[in-house]
Amino acid sequence: MKDRQPTGAGGHAAPDQSNDRWNDKYPHLGTAPIPIEPYISREYFALERERIFRKVWLNVGRIEHIPNPGDYIVVALPVCQTSVVVVRGKDGQLHAFHNMCSHRGNKIVWDQGGSCRNFTCKFHGWSYGLDGGLRFVPDEERFYDLKKDRLGLTPVAVDTWAGFIFIHLDPNPTETLRAYLAEVVPGLEGYPFSELSATRFCWRTEIKANWKIAQDAFQEGYHLPVRHKASAADAFTSGTNPHCHFLSLDLYERHRRTSSYGNLNYQPTPVAGMAYQFGSSVVVDRDIALDNLPAGVNPTRRSDWSIDTFWIFPNFSIFPSNGTYLTHHFWPITEDRTIWETHTYFPNAENAGQKFSQEYSKVLLRDILMEDGTTLEHIQDMLASGAKTHMPLQHQEICVRHAYRVVEDYVGFYAGR
Amino acid sequence: MAESGWPVAFSALQPFLDWALATEAERTQKRQTSEMVDIQAFYTAMLSHLEDILVYLNQFPLERMPPHAQQLMDMTLSLAEIAPAVELFGQPREDDTFDPFRFVPQHQ
Ligand code: FES
Ligand SMILES: [Fe+2]
Repeated sequence: MKDRQPTGAGGHAAPDQSNDRWNDKYPHLGTAPIPIEPYISREYFALERERIFRKVWLNVGRIEHIPNPGDYIVVALPVCQTSVVVVRGKDGQLHAFHNMCSHRGNKIVWDQGGSCRNFTCKFHGWSYGLDGGLRFVPDEERFYDLKKDRLGLTPVAVDTWAGFIFIHLDPNPTETLRAYLAEVVPGLEGYPFSELSATRFCWRTEIKANWKIAQDAFQEGYHLPVRHKASAADAFTSGTNPHCHFLSLDLYERHRRTSSYGNLNYQPTPVAGMAYQFGSSVVVDRDIALDNLPAGVNPTRRSDWSIDTFWIFPNFSIFPSNGTYLTHHFWPITEDRTIWETHTYFPNAENAGQKFSQEYSKVLLRDILMEDGTTLEHIQDMLASGAKTHMPLQHQEICVRHAYRVVEDYVGFYAGR
Repeated sequence: MAESGWPVAFSALQPFLDWALATEAERTQKRQTSEMVDIQAFYTAMLSHLEDILVYLNQFPLERMPPHAQQLMDMTLSLAEIAPAVELFGQPREDDTFDPFRFVPQHQ
């Protein structure tokens, strides 16, 4: 148990807002309003499918989710019109395939994950090894010249970084995962992901909004004092940072990262205080051992810090904090439908107090996310009206501007128009 | 201790056993379908004992709790579930927020 006295004020009386006109740091992004079309256009979406989602590494989970040979997960990828199986082979290596039988195309695995010795098709019983090789064909001698060694499951590239599993629909990608992630690797290297991944909670929902509308809502704090007035504003804003300005941020070629302030004078509610006393909590942590965090998380080392975000192009984000982290995935279905999935991870709870503490953190996070959910669908409804063509963005929304720019650089919808 | 193993110190909580729910989905269901007065009564009763409950429960291994302790554990998780309703929103669910039943817990 911990003493609840604030200890980490560290001489930072007020947020430093002398240097947070972020557009000045990234003049190449411009300051003009950004177009609405990419959020509503079916044509734009088709280009995203071909030029982004089929062409880059995509995160599909963590190694702890499939620790043993035969453990598998099934990843629905409606944006690429496929389903992918990721399995740990007998050799301990990860393999990934399109979830499609080589005979007449049946989907091989119908659940979302589990453990098996081989994959057997539920249509005519063709059977595949964990490496995807075709092992057995019923009544095989009645086929003509069946080349079994060429009829394995269609492979998809798979690789891991820091325990995160990524796939690439091109089985021989021109860019390695390590090269793809090079911009964010220094920031996250050394963060205790495996230790903090012992317990995971996850929610999934389908929303009626473009995937970028959903993602944009999590990469600015400008909405926090308004949309999260009841739930989170007190913990993340203060009299000296009323509009939730970022503490620091870096925009890269494809990815980006941010740090956010916490409010050191926040007075926790009774249950939040008790959760903090018996465990850790992202909103009331006063004992942050900054030296235990890798240099790239909260790089300013300010004690009035709360959480970082790392945005990994195109649709994955990692929010590392002190003793817990969360991730978001936004999987496009159509130009106005998205699967939104949030995971929140904690170390193994060793006793009842820690379990209670984790439950409170998780419930509070979920209730904060509920506040975001409705807005996303209302925004989509109105963008689709066509009443307006552009949206103005301020300095604190520069991640939205950067995200638009990176997508457009891949898609090239406006190039030459 | 009472016959069930339920500690006498927490006997005032026995009327709230219907909050001893094992999964997040059940606890959300209970929060979202309860009247605020009932949520508030559960909150008040639990909060006054919370520190003692957690100290008491900390003596048991998490995965092998005796039945009465597991009930108390699940009730503390229900307290976590309803805390934002009482402390932040003043209602089971905020106006104009996403339908909580659409945000589905996975891997329960
Ligand atoms: S489609 Fe799979 S065995 Fe025929
Ligand atoms: Fe939000």
